[in-house]
Amino acid sequence: MPKNKRPERKTWYKLDLSAIVYPTLQRRDFSSVYRLSVVLTEQIRPEILQQAVDIALKRFPTYKAAIRKGLFWRYLEPNNRPGPFVQPDISNPCMPMPFKANNRYLIRIYYHECRIALEAHHSLGDGTGGMCVLQTITAVYLRLLGHSVSNGGFVLDVEGEPDPEELEDAYMRYANAQVRPPRPSEKAYRVRGTKEPFYTLNIIDGIMSVKEVMAVASEYNATITEYLNAVLLYALMQKQEKEWHYKLRPLKIAMPVNLRRFFPSKTLRNFITMIYPSIDPRLGDYTFDEIVVHVHNYMRYYINEKFLRGDITTNAATQQNPFIRIVPLFIKDFTVRFFYTKVQDKNSSAGLTNMGALKVSKDMEPHIRRFDIYMGQPFSSRTNCAISSFGDTLTINFASSIVEADVERYFFSKLVQDGIHVKIESNRKA
Amino acid sequence: MSYCVNCGVELDASLKSCPLCHTPVINPRESEKARPDFPYPQERGQVEVVKRKDLGILISVVLSATALSCGLLNLFVFTGTGWSLLIIGICILLFVFAFPAVIYTKLPIYLSLLFDGVAIGIYLYLIALLTPSRRWFWELAMPIVLLVTLLIEIFTFLLRKLPISIISTALYIFAEAAVLCIGIELFVDRFTGNPLQLSWSAVVLTACGIIVVALVTILSKRRLRDAVQRRLHF
Repeated sequence: MPKNKRPERKTWYKLDLSAIVYPTLQRRDFSSVYRLSVVLTEQIRPEILQQAVDIALKRFPTYKAAIRKGLFWRYLEPNNRPGPFVQPDISNPCMPMPFKANNRYLIRIYYHECRIALEAHHSLGDGTGGMCVLQTITAVYLRLLGHSVSNGGFVLDVEGEPDPEELEDAYMRYANAQVRPPRPSEKAYRVRGTKEPFYTLNIIDGIMSVKEVMAVASEYNATITEYLNAVLLYALMQKQEKEWHYKLRPLKIAMPVNLRRFFPSKTLRNFITMIYPSIDPRLGDYTFDEIVVHVHNYMRYYINEKFLRGDITTNAATQQNPFIRIVPLFIKDFTVRFFYTKVQDKNSSAGLTNMGALKVSKDMEPHIRRFDIYMGQPFSSRTNCAISSFGDTLTINFASSIVEADVERYFFSKLVQDGIHVKIESNRKA
Repeated sequence: MSYCVNCGVELDASLKSCPLCHTPVINPRESEKARPDFPYPQERGQVEVVKRKDLGILISVVLSATALSCGLLNLFVFTGTGWSLLIIGICILLFVFAFPAVIYTKLPIYLSLLFDGVAIGIYLYLIALLTPSRRWFWELAMPIVLLVTLLIEIFTFLLRKLPISIISTALYIFAEAAVLCIGIELFVDRFTGNPLQLSWSAVVLTACGIIVVALVTILSKRRLRDAVQRRLHF
């Protein structure tokens, strides 16, 4: 006798550890949205791009999702509404993303001349996950145009089923240190500036040669990331010195570290943790060389599997605490927002992320000119800096919602002083 | 190809001035017309507005249906007293409270607070209609509602226009509490026909006065402010 078929269980996904924070910070004028874009060699054809998006997104169930509220936590639910639709690009990227708008999708796809841009809410995943989505869409797009593009690297097989590991919350797998190191929490210097009207995101892109930067960095015995971190700290130091201040504050950069490098996981969701390279001008004046050495040592000391595991454990402990779990969501929201605005947001002077050298498969390479990454609108007035490289092109993208561009100016001036040829593009109409 | 004379960076050919230092690009060899297109899109995006229309409609329908049905029942079935006025009043009150949050979000906060005060006044008047004498409404309820609305408006203004901290917020609250208590006592005195004199509110005034002076001192001295923050941190 045939058994009665049980109705299929509705799939849903818990938010991962760091994704829990982003939706609580949602304001009318702020969402944690980041943007990744790729510049191809040919003009984009929107109708083909739409097809590519439709095909590719099936492979990414956690990106074709909507966010919902439960009693205790938010969660992701597969979203089968029509969309997401590709649209012509706009001058103010990373706009706030209300959860109920845009057919409840938390991603947006734009095109402009040769550029395809993907904007995603951070609660879906981090830059690496987003890059997989963007590159897979690009690969499908190129295939639809008749080019042959192979899978591999960031390009996933759109015919295949999603691997459960891609959807996992990898933090939980590695949050198993015996001790929870305390979080650093000292108020850092914060860039003051005139707020732009709702909603403007100022972008300044610096384009340079990887080889040149590498050569300069190795003169200082540093890697590119360490060198650029030091330049940003140097720029912030100059900015703090030149403006009126009651007392000096330490300068800290919030830098996400991709944990996949240390803890093997295929996850497409968030798997990053923050480290804070910093200098304290109250201890005395730093020369640039000293900053580079300091940042270099800091990175060597902190970026290793042991310290990062401790960090993950600290972060996970809060979420695993049974008392915190049973608190209703609105109280959690209130507490998290309070903690974030009072402590976490004041913890850093600027954000800097380095996606590193982006690789694509050999057959895709000739179609791609460069990649851009924007960390999106900062929560408070400061600038965010995102770095990526493709081939010999290194792009440094600054995004800020304040009028002044002093930090950017000091930053690029230092690069020019060190003999690096910098080309500037900007959406500011100065 | 132009370079910024101030920063030394190469500028994209579309830029008319350096985005870093605003130094204009003056290159006599390149004509203005030859400037290529801006590499960024020109159209501004609009954040999609989440419509709370459904919730607005739901609230309006539920409240008006309640008010209407109670009014009809009162008119035709359970006649005698004007009990439905209480419910109709509550419905108006809830509608006015929900209006700025759900239906028209662009209403300035001062105006919506004023409307809230007016709605409470109307509700109290409806209650007054059911009581034998309406003197208490005109001489006690109305002045107190006016005073509270005014104080809340001032509080909102201070919070929005001046820098906020826990200490300054406490300062406003204590100062306003003192004013409110004095106001209430004077209104009560006038209503009961006693001579206008401070008694219990004088105690509140003194206590609040001391706290306010202490808070002002703390606020004006950075050292004290830091000490308070340190010892009372949570």
